[in-house]
Amino acid sequence: MTAFDPFEDFGDIEEIGERLNDADAAVRRLAVIDLAETASADVLPHLLTAVADPDATVRLQLAIALSEFDAVEAAAGLARLVADQDLTVAQAAADSLAELKDPAAAESILPLVSHGRAFVRAAGFRGLKALRSRGALGPALAAMRDEDANVRAQALGVVAYLKLEETLPCLVAATRDADATVRSVAVNALSFTSQPAAAAAVTAALDDETWQVRAAAAESLGRIGQTSAVDGLTAGLSDEYWQVRQKCLNALGKLKAQSTVRQISELLTSDMASLRKESAAALGEIADPSSRDSLMAHIGDADPDVRKTVRWALTRLG
Amino acid sequence: MPLAFSPTTVPVVVDEAKCIADKGCTVCVDVCPLDVLRISDLTGKAHMKFDECWYCMPCEKDCPTGAVTVNIPYLLR
Amino acid sequence: MDNFVEGLSEVTCDVLVIGGGTAGPMAALKAKQKNPALNVVLLEKANVKRSGAICMGMDGLNNAVVPGYATPEQYTKEITIANDGIVDQAPVFKYASRCYDIIQELDRFGIRFQKNANGDFDLKKVHHLGTYVLPMPNGDTVKKALYRQIKRERILVSNRFMATRLLTASDGRIAGATAVNTRTAEFLVLRAKTVILCMGAAGRLGLPHSGYLFGTYENPTNSGDGYAMAYHAGAALANLECYQINPLIKDYNGPACAYVAGPFGAYTANSEGNRFIESDYWSGQMMQEFYNELQSGKGPVFLKLNHLHADTVGEIEEILHKVERPSRGRFHQARGTDYREKMIEMHISEIGFCSGHSASGVFVDEFARTTVPGLYAAGDMASVPHNYMLGAFTNGAVAGEHAAEVALETDLPDFDSEFVKAERKRVLAPTRREDGIPPNQLEYKTRRLVNDYLQPPKVTARMRIGQARLAEVRDDLETALVARNAHELMRSLEVSSILDCADMAAHASLFRTESRWGLYHNRVDYPKKDDDNWFCHTLLRKVDGRLVSEKRPIQPYIVPIENEERTAYDRLRVSNQA
Ligand SMILES: Cc1cc2nc3c(=O)[nH]c(=O)nc-3n(C[C@H](O)[C@H](O)[C@H](O)COP(=O)(O)OP(=O)(O)OC[C@H]3O[C@@H](n4cnc5c(N)ncnc54)[C@H](O)[C@@H]3O)c2cc1C
Ligand code: SF4
Ligand code: SF4
Repeated sequence: MTAFDPFEDFGDIEEIGERLNDADAAVRRLAVIDLAETASADVLPHLLTAVADPDATVRLQLAIALSEFDAVEAAAGLARLVADQDLTVAQAAADSLAELKDPAAAESILPLVSHGRAFVRAAGFRGLKALRSRGALGPALAAMRDEDANVRAQALGVVAYLKLEETLPCLVAATRDADATVRSVAVNALSFTSQPAAAAAVTAALDDETWQVRAAAAESLGRIGQTSAVDGLTAGLSDEYWQVRQKCLNALGKLKAQSTVRQISELLTSDMASLRKESAAALGEIADPSSRDSLMAHIGDADPDVRKTVRWALTRLG
Repeated sequence: MPLAFSPTTVPVVVDEAKCIADKGCTVCVDVCPLDVLRISDLTGKAHMKFDECWYCMPCEKDCPTGAVTVNIPYLLR
Repeated sequence: MDNFVEGLSEVTCDVLVIGGGTAGPMAALKAKQKNPALNVVLLEKANVKRSGAICMGMDGLNNAVVPGYATPEQYTKEITIANDGIVDQAPVFKYASRCYDIIQELDRFGIRFQKNANGDFDLKKVHHLGTYVLPMPNGDTVKKALYRQIKRERILVSNRFMATRLLTASDGRIAGATAVNTRTAEFLVLRAKTVILCMGAAGRLGLPHSGYLFGTYENPTNSGDGYAMAYHAGAALANLECYQINPLIKDYNGPACAYVAGPFGAYTANSEGNRFIESDYWSGQMMQEFYNELQSGKGPVFLKLNHLHADTVGEIEEILHKVERPSRGRFHQARGTDYREKMIEMHISEIGFCSGHSASGVFVDEFARTTVPGLYAAGDMASVPHNYMLGAFTNGAVAGEHAAEVALETDLPDFDSEFVKAERKRVLAPTRREDGIPPNQLEYKTRRLVNDYLQPPKVTARMRIGQARLAEVRDDLETALVARNAHELMRSLEVSSILDCADMAAHASLFRTESRWGLYHNRVDYPKKDDDNWFCHTLLRKVDGRLVSEKRPIQPYIVPIENEERTAYDRLRVSNQA
């Protein structure tokens, strides 16, 4: 009977590091995997030598592996790989960059945002977003004039995460960006402030040409909670997309927009159960006694979710 | 009570041309929660040894060379 | 690999965590952080890197109690009512108060939750009352991030070891566990001052409708070993008759994800495309409604998304087919089902034990302590109801911290070496036989009997026959089970747990002579809820080698529930229509 060691052991770092010099790319690639497996910062010097590996599959593995390390050195390695000629490598590096949490990584990432390739600039801003670094603000604001929509969207993300009143003009301008994704991010982001300018810009976005932006605007207005949005939201109740109508109902409920009870009640007769439900929910939020009759008329709605919501709303009316 | 051999079609397929188990890779074997993959002594490549799969896909996701394909087990398909 | 190796080792540690899925890694981390000098061991049947329910990731937190969206009081009330009042509130309240810290910690680990454009958590409203759902659009980072932390903290990890039994000292304290290597059959004795059980649900109890043994709702590595081990160690198990049964995509047997698709506007519908579920919370009541509709002329039941905009469906697919059960997309593709066009057929799962989704688990208090001193349990196998993933993390943390404290002031308990010898013999018995019945056949038969005799609607006479038939299978297990390699040995030991769980399911179900928790404990010959006699927990334990059940009063509520509130809630839940 033999005794054995039951615990995981990640091997000898030096020995694995040696394999990074093997002639066979597959062996080098497996060495990268094994080194990353240790999750020990000691392996970084070894790993980083692979940034210049001639084989793209090895660099790809490295781009994935570096996400295991929340260290400045890893950020530096990824910053190089994000500009890799091989797009798979670059994409993996961009994804890994976005995993970093250590604010110190910002220094290595910042130079990327003035790179010649739009992909790299976008990846840079994407990586900077969660780090919430003040230093990234200037470049991000400037990048709102970038010709590439994805770069603008990512840069706007950096601005939005910082939640600074001083960025309001930038965010407001972005609600009129040429790109729908950018506009969506902007209307979503403006809910952090109670400045009237924000509510006004988001309300204007209720007329956006893209329904997803209109829906995002309605949702955002619910969070902002300014009564100035009530008229716009009420108009939104006849949007051609039910998805937008639904969000407007929800927002009006949150705003407790008593003056709109009649318009909201009209949607209780919609042929879409989801709208009837949202309408009952809004009436419950507003809790105006004048909606009792319309709610009562739907206590026996064919849809159980609507019935439930109507019952809930009626209890709110008292 | 002698045991019989009953054939079964296994859901997980390994592309032997891509698999680098012969270079020392054991990633899919390591990650499988049901422990049903093995490296074949015969071919030096990974394969599904036991038909006991939750079609959860770590094997496919973590394989460095994209050699693994997880299909839905026949009885569920 | 897989050939038998005669090996025997003994290791000693302060805190032993068994099961490295969700609760386990968190328990180990917290124990180690509490006191880095402690020797913490994490034992796992598979590989911690990719094990347990969340091996591929998770779509979101189902029950996040985040300030501004819900309060611990409100959550505790809702869980109490969803469980027909059979709840000790202290652990639920503790979870609810603590879980926001844990979310923030997971966020720091690099597990990504849905955030709005400003980087704040973006919770979704799914239920009528509180807002609890926090999606994880990149939930595939969960396991990786956890494992990274485990390695950084230098926690000793033992992969591919299956725990078989717990060791107790002469004074009844926990003393450790035994385990066997799943690839070599080497035997391991682990001595410990405290032990935390995190071995997940008993997911291989019922047989899925497909007949495929491993096509279960739960990760099939969770074969109920934790329940069986706790039972044999004399710990009490609570409310096992409150089975887990889940709504699923038919045949695929994976979650239909009302929590994911719901916020986008999808819902569960009957064949006419109409909603039918009255119940607001995932509960036995809801499952009963689901079951009724399935059996009715309006059945079967479907997940309806085809009314949504194609872009929205695309967004949902992006989540559903990538993260939690990514093979779902492949399943639909093979059948040519497109969410945009057709509703997706749903069904109900096989039965199991799981407090993560219902309330059947090893009894624990608000410190995750079981009734055996020094033994803790967390996650799906511990009795805190409707725990889900965040409950596993949070209660794992609670268990880890408490177990670390206790380990500090405890000497290493003695253990019974005769017991270990006998256990080794029991474990290896199937390897000593030349021929016999292989584990897959024994397992199929056991689980087929579970479906035939123990699945609700529950009928007394039927369950009794089931008990007799299961006893016959047990004879075979003890005398004829054969394992030709270490892998088959693992499966053999799993069958033994499955059989133990089946016996417990039958016993607990027969004990509670009323119906409660909707479908979970629908006893046809006792169709009424009987609050006078059964407004209590049931505890099952091993006494002199036999199953014994008893009642346990519910601890006084700490968040009182006014009668009025209960009716207000009932009005939400229960139809007053015909
Ligand atoms: C398909 C699916 C989808 C879900 N979706 C969601 C969701 O979207 N949101 C949500 O909040 N919750 C969800 N849940 C629930 C959530 O995942 C679980 O509640 C939670 O992960 C349970 O954690 P656990 O630690 O108890 O179990 P697990 O994470 O399953 O871990 C148990 C571990 O114990 C190990 N083990 C078992 N037996 C032994 C043994 N004998 N020896 C050693 N180790 C052993 C297993 O290998 C496993 O690693 C879902 C569950 C499933 C199955
Ligand atoms: S992970 Fe891929 S390359 Fe490695 S052994 Fe498995 S199939 Fe082969
Ligand atoms: S799909 Fe899951 S269970 Fe099946 S072989 Fe791959 S990792 Fe193992």
